[in-house]
Amino acid sequence: MIKFLLMVNKQGQTRLAKYFAEYLSTDERRALEGEVVRKCLSRTDKQCSFYEHRQYKIVYRRYASLFFMVGVDDEENELAVLEFIHCFVEVLDKHFGQVCELDIMNEPEMVHYILDEMLVNGQIVDTNKANILEPVQLLEHATA
Amino acid sequence: MQSKLEKVVAGLKTGPRFLKELREFDNLVKAIGECKSKAEEDRVISQELELLKQRLSDPKLDKSRGKEYMIRLIYCEILGHDASFAYIKALQFASDPNIHTKKAAYLALTQFLDYNDNLVLLLVNTLLLDMKSDNYLIVCTALVAATRLIGADLVNAVYPVVVERLRHPKEHVRKKAVMALHWFGQLDPRRDGPLAGVELDKHFRTMLCDKDPSVMSASLCALHDSIKVDPRPYKNLIPSFTSILKQVSEHRLPKSYDYHRFPAPFIQIKLLKILAALGAGDRAASENMAAVLHQTLRRASTSHTIGSAIIYECVRTITTIYPNPQLLAAAAESIATFLRSPSHNLRYVGIDALAGITALNPAAAAEHQVAVLDCLEDPDDTLKLKTLELLYKMTKANNIQVIVDKMMGFLSSCTDEHIRKDIVRKVCDLAERYAPSPAWFVTTISEVFRLAGEHVDEADAHRLVRLIAEQDASLHASAVEAYLELLDGENVISSGAEAVTATASGTVTTTPRLSRKKLPETILLVICWVLGEFGHLARRPAQAVLARLVGILHVHKAASDRLRGCLLTALAKLAAHTGGATGPVGQTLIQPHDGVAGSAAGGAAGQDAADLVHKCLNSQSLELQQRAHELQALLRCAPPVLAAAMPVDASCEEFSPQDLAAVAALPFLEGHVARALAGGAAPYLPPEARGGRTGDGGSKGLRFAAYEPAPYAIPLAAASTSYAATGAYDSRSGSITGASGTGLAAGVAAAAAVVPSASSTTEPQLMVKPAGGRKWGPAQYETDYGASASSSQTAPLAAAMGPPPPAAAAAPRSVGAHHSRSGSSASLTGQTPSERERFAASLFGGGGSASTTTAVRPTAAAQLPAGQRQLNGSAIATATRPASSYAVPTPNPMDLLLDLDVPPPPQQQRPAGPAAVASSHGASQPAGNWMDSMMAAPAGPMSSAAPLGGVGQVGGSAPSGGSFLGPGVSNGGMMYGIQASRPPLQQQPGGMGIAMPAPMGGMLSSLQQPHLVQASGFGGEMGMGMAGGPAGYGAAAPPVQPQAWQQQQMASGMAAPIWPQQQQQQRRQQQQQQQAGRSADPFGDLLS
Repeated sequence: MIKFLLMVNKQGQTRLAKYFAEYLSTDERRALEGEVVRKCLSRTDKQCSFYEHRQYKIVYRRYASLFFMVGVDDEENELAVLEFIHCFVEVLDKHFGQVCELDIMNEPEMVHYILDEMLVNGQIVDTNKANILEPVQLLEHATA
Repeated sequence: MQSKLEKVVAGLKTGPRFLKELREFDNLVKAIGECKSKAEEDRVISQELELLKQRLSDPKLDKSRGKEYMIRLIYCEILGHDASFAYIKALQFASDPNIHTKKAAYLALTQFLDYNDNLVLLLVNTLLLDMKSDNYLIVCTALVAATRLIGADLVNAVYPVVVERLRHPKEHVRKKAVMALHWFGQLDPRRDGPLAGVELDKHFRTMLCDKDPSVMSASLCALHDSIKVDPRPYKNLIPSFTSILKQVSEHRLPKSYDYHRFPAPFIQIKLLKILAALGAGDRAASENMAAVLHQTLRRASTSHTIGSAIIYECVRTITTIYPNPQLLAAAAESIATFLRSPSHNLRYVGIDALAGITALNPAAAAEHQVAVLDCLEDPDDTLKLKTLELLYKMTKANNIQVIVDKMMGFLSSCTDEHIRKDIVRKVCDLAERYAPSPAWFVTTISEVFRLAGEHVDEADAHRLVRLIAEQDASLHASAVEAYLELLDGENVISSGAEAVTATASGTVTTTPRLSRKKLPETILLVICWVLGEFGHLARRPAQAVLARLVGILHVHKAASDRLRGCLLTALAKLAAHTGGATGPVGQTLIQPHDGVAGSAAGGAAGQDAADLVHKCLNSQSLELQQRAHELQALLRCAPPVLAAAMPVDASCEEFSPQDLAAVAALPFLEGHVARALAGGAAPYLPPEARGGRTGDGGSKGLRFAAYEPAPYAIPLAAASTSYAATGAYDSRSGSITGASGTGLAAGVAAAAAVVPSASSTTEPQLMVKPAGGRKWGPAQYETDYGASASSSQTAPLAAAMGPPPPAAAAAPRSVGAHHSRSGSSASLTGQTPSERERFAASLFGGGGSASTTTAVRPTAAAQLPAGQRQLNGSAIATATRPASSYAVPTPNPMDLLLDLDVPPPPQQQRPAGPAAVASSHGASQPAGNWMDSMMAAPAGPMSSAAPLGGVGQVGGSAPSGGSFLGPGVSNGGMMYGIQASRPPLQQQPGGMGIAMPAPMGGMLSSLQQPHLVQASGFGGEMGMGMAGGPAGYGAAAPPVQPQAWQQQQMASGMAAPIWPQQQQQQRRQQQQQQQAGRSADPFGDLLS
């Protein structure tokens, strides 16, 4: 299962963090994210998109300045997670239109809502873009 | 966006203050975005938190901006700051009627709180209301929040409502409800807590048939977790799952589920995982899913990564379920693409999949040896690590040294603590299982201690001590030397000079950089024990050993009392073993501490030692004081007393059951017990009686099977108590008996002895020195070694074979041979095959390199139906393989010859020159070819219908794959015949040495088979080397497991001899070539 998902820019600043069934204190999260990000940023294109950290396997993918890092347990299919990240980015792209780091910073809640549609309990429940965006777009249109 | 605009307009209307507040969020985002450092970011967030505190505590809080506040709080928490002051506010906002505020509040709560938090109690009511909302977005939000916030104690409060939502008309709600139930199921996976009696699975099954695919896919997640816990109740769902998978892969789902033109790949992968869980170890189930697996595998293509992901998952499923030859063949084919791919990601999963396939079909790895080597040498750590994992899984007795070498190399360069720990665990595990010799084990474990001592379990240290104790004097001496050198190295470094360290047989070359690390305490304890117990065997004078021991404290100034105590005991033992009080060490230790240096033959070190004793005499630690006083008192005793107190090499002495029983009765405590009973204490109840009583009185919920005493628990406890009793008795009576003293070193020895041994008996006895046989490691490993029932006569027999060479001689053979090989062959031939190819050969037991593989492979492969080729090793192979081809799983004849002790008939070795070989092959064959024929030999019996037949029969029926194969086959058949005619060989590894030469020689001479003569020569030499090993260990040298043989046989299309043998062969060959005055290239045919 997926344990956490981080969005970190290439300066190492966290833009979004979501944990699944992995309850860590703020300090623990901070330490974990620091280590994971440091390791990830030190990797080159010539290395594979996976690495192990503590009990997690980290699968990461880079889009422009933003890294998507997903911590999974041992039984997860790394390639599938890698593609899940891409699928997620495609959905974001469809929602925001040419998604960029600033979009995510300005509307982090939308990213969370989209993620909530795709990932529940650390399981990939839905990757159908129409399904995912329907409630999100409905919410946008709801009167404030 | 629109709402934002409206807000701005509203802001313009209400005035500048509002506008300023409105910009707060944008300002925050901007400030965070512009931060250049963590410190700056922290400052921004601290300011923001202050501002938020102010705003949220404002009674005139603008509710319409709740969402914004929530998001700002989330930012603060994400960036690592505590925003707990606002949790209550978030709870309030959760019941806000505005959907934006509500959703943001729920989001904040799921980010801030976990299900253990008490604040959740305050939310339950809101949550229940929202779950019943008319707005399905709110219901969804509440259900998602439930998956994060509802703990086991609240499940029952929300469960009925959630179940009701399963019938909601909107598929989004149903999907979320299923996932909420999934979460509840995870809270109570065994359904014996709050969910006892709840029919959760019934709901999941119902939802599996939901008309909406997304709900179905959610229920797959839920079912997957239940199936992982216990697959049995779900076997009847297999047809459903296979039919869903079939439909999905046939593109029956709506187009919107496609991902890069692959039909619902994530659903496919989930289904494959479920099938794997259902099919594991279940033949019937596996057969039912074979067709659909095949179809899924076929339909997925590697055109896109997601296709590769499906293939990878298919392969994982195929290797998890009951093996199916066709599927395995298809899987092996698919991963070949991965391994050949330039993409690191694909190679990574390829290696992982290969590890799975290798477990079932050891030949698979050999096919991809080049790719595997590439990955092993790749600069990418992840890939390397994964490859090491593969190697770990394919480690056998024949390639352990290479693999452990590789792991040590990785260990020395790796800095990640978790990975280091993992590697240390693997090395220890492998060393324990497959160690070729005790010397190797000692060296390896010591090296591990040196490189990563902080990660080694203390149990491994005990095992090491125990193993050393069990060996004979030559190993003791070499261990002493190795450890002295370790200490030398440490001391040199501490004085700032260049490090010069080397271990006994140079398994791993020590780099100065790494040895700068201080030795960890665990290994120091081991060193103290070894030097104390066996320091008198050192080549250097006892004084020098003393100096090294005391020198430990110079490096480790903050040594613990435990280490100091151990050191004291070591000094005492050293003194006792080197002439007692009148010996040089003894004199040093008991000299009065008058501050006059060098009064005895001590010098500075002597003075240090005397200082140490003196300090300990006045130490605050009572144990140190006691040890120091004991040391002095003992050394002043008469020599016989001293010898009785600290006998030489008696750490492995055996206690008779009578001794132990006498001690276990604890007679000296009776008075104390009587007093205590008189004082009203409860009488002692043995554990069994106690168990019965609590069973009656206690609640039945607390009794689990796991708490039943393990079979060995009683003897273990008995042994340890009896040991403790000895100690107690000793200290009371004031006379110290046994090797122990009260010291910790003795404790280590005793503990090591108590460690459950392979032959854990049910009697309380400390049998630490059984004759022959493998002596360490958990019992189950014993079976790996095939024959292990070494009788007590083994050792004498092995000993009778000839003067045992020193252990040091055996060690380089086993450890260093791999390295020495390249040099010698180069000098001999001038044509050096690349390091890689040789490494591949040693690793995969392949016949040298890929080229040999391809040369020999087709012949054998053609003889076997495809199915047989795929299935190997393991029990499955024997089950499905036609009886005619493998009637009995018998070890590789080569292995038998080489592992068992066949003393060399020296006169037979000489005539077996390569010239003779060449003549028998015909002039066209270069002399080096006999090696090929040797390698091809095992292929003979494999492909022939009657493997156990005599020479003629095998030779005749075996297909000859070329001019060289003919003799090779008969050769193999021949060896096989010998082996088959002597079934008890495995049981008598020692006896073999004596019994073997006669039939061997006879047959050889009668057959005039030069190859065989040579083979016997190797066998002989190998036998010598092994039997020469310390303490009859060689006699029990692990015979190759039947499994390994099968695997090799199968792998061998290429008829792969394992590498140590190959070195033997090569060494022998070189010798013989030198004898024959020819210098043919031994690799000519292997690597061309």
